[in-house]
Amino acid sequence: MNAQLFALAMFDGIAYAALVFMVAVGLTLIFGVLRILNVAHGSFYAIGAYTAASIGGAIFAAGFSPWLAFPLLFVAAALVGILLGGPIERLLLRRIYAKEDALQLLVTFAVFMILEDVQRLVWGVQPYFEATALQQLGNLEVLGVFYTKYQLIFLPIVAVIVLIGLRLFLRRTLSGKLILAVTEDRETATAMGIDADKVYLLTFIVGAALAGFGGALASATTSVVPGMGADMIVLSFAVVATAGLGQIEGAAVTALLIGLGRSFAVYLMPELEVLIPYLIMLLVLLVRPEGLFGAVRTRKI
Amino acid sequence: MLAFEGVDVSIAGVQILRGVSFEVSAAQTVALIGRNGAGKTTTLRTIMGFTEVSGKIRFQDRDLGAMAPAKRPGLGIGYAPEDRRLFSAFSVEENILMPGEVAGFSEQALKAGLERVYDILPELKEMRARPAGMVSGGQGKMVALGRALMIGSQLIMLDEPFQGLAPALARRYADALRDLRDRDREVTLIITESNPALLRRFADHAFVIERGEVRPGSLDSEKDVA
Repeated sequence: MNAQLFALAMFDGIAYAALVFMVAVGLTLIFGVLRILNVAHGSFYAIGAYTAASIGGAIFAAGFSPWLAFPLLFVAAALVGILLGGPIERLLLRRIYAKEDALQLLVTFAVFMILEDVQRLVWGVQPYFEATALQQLGNLEVLGVFYTKYQLIFLPIVAVIVLIGLRLFLRRTLSGKLILAVTEDRETATAMGIDADKVYLLTFIVGAALAGFGGALASATTSVVPGMGADMIVLSFAVVATAGLGQIEGAAVTALLIGLGRSFAVYLMPELEVLIPYLIMLLVLLVRPEGLFGAVRTRKI
Repeated sequence: MLAFEGVDVSIAGVQILRGVSFEVSAAQTVALIGRNGAGKTTTLRTIMGFTEVSGKIRFQDRDLGAMAPAKRPGLGIGYAPEDRRLFSAFSVEENILMPGEVAGFSEQALKAGLERVYDILPELKEMRARPAGMVSGGQGKMVALGRALMIGSQLIMLDEPFQGLAPALARRYADALRDLRDRDREVTLIITESNPALLRRFADHAFVIERGEVRPGSLDSEKDVA
């Protein structure tokens, strides 16, 4: 493997890891608080991508500034979080928190299936291309490789900002503290006056918005097609399980590990590309069943 | 100020409280004495709203049962659960402030509340910056008491506060409670305990809880709980 291929694999891996992290961190946040493994999270990612691509396509065709592609990322994320995440938590998930895990998984899987069809109904099956954000930033030559600044610089920086921002939000703001308190002990949090229902709703909206944000960011780098949500949810499950459920920093490190593993496989052993993330997960979980960063915790009854 | 009227509580199909009726007057210190499993913790959790209840619970002439659990601390009810249940993600001070912040206390009220807690429990001031997950069991009990003091302007409920405390720490804890009582004559205290001797010369009133039924008792006749 020469230096250029090595650089390409690195850059691909980092850019991909940034996107996977965005989805995985929302998934792990929701699991940490609501104790629900949300399969529909993949749909939030896909719908975020479709939203950004279709709104972007419409406004750029109408002659608006291409720089609007960047604020549009946040608009897509907010739309997914508030219009999709909010009602799903409020009307559906709230009814099943007390039910067994298998049922919760089936319900979110059903939501995922429904949303898959909704995407086909709304956006059809033709791929969408909307790379304005990527083109706006241009390219960069590093180690003899030309790479887009969007993927090499913008995506990793955004991922780091989300990681730090989420940490600050959870530790420094009252809303964040309430989320941490409910995560640790719902009953005691309620005894402090915390309305756990509201915290659940807020967490789910934030988590869904992060997935939508990941999708919006991804839409500039790839064609938006049916099935992209399924690919992403499986991969981010692998990241979250490898990191340890509920681990935010762990999800970042693991996303990088799995992103790099996958991209190096593409160049070295292409036939293993799909396998590598799960191989990493398998190896980690064999040695540490609680995940790389998970702590063994006995849950009280 | 607090009254149970024919309260039944079942948890997972097992009846824990049976037709419980009792009344606590304002500004009293009340002991709720009973063995393990008699229903002491369930009684306190019922006041906080964590159980399915049939029957009436009144608090200062309000129907407490009709009130969402998260709204109840805002009435001035502080609760220290038996096993501390601190939030390990936060420092000792953040834990103490938490119920005040949630209730929307002003900066001044938070500061005044914190000063009151540190006056009664000066040892907490020394460990204020420590992560709550790093304090010992006994210190954790003190923090949980401080947290209950923060919001408990009307009623403070302590679930087996002396359980598992070393003798010196238990004495210190009792001193802090006496200090609290001296400073604040208005607040009502409910303390559960399996050993009545610990609350003698301290509680004004005692109730005995046995197999889910509550009756008036006396701290002097230890055989009440045997």
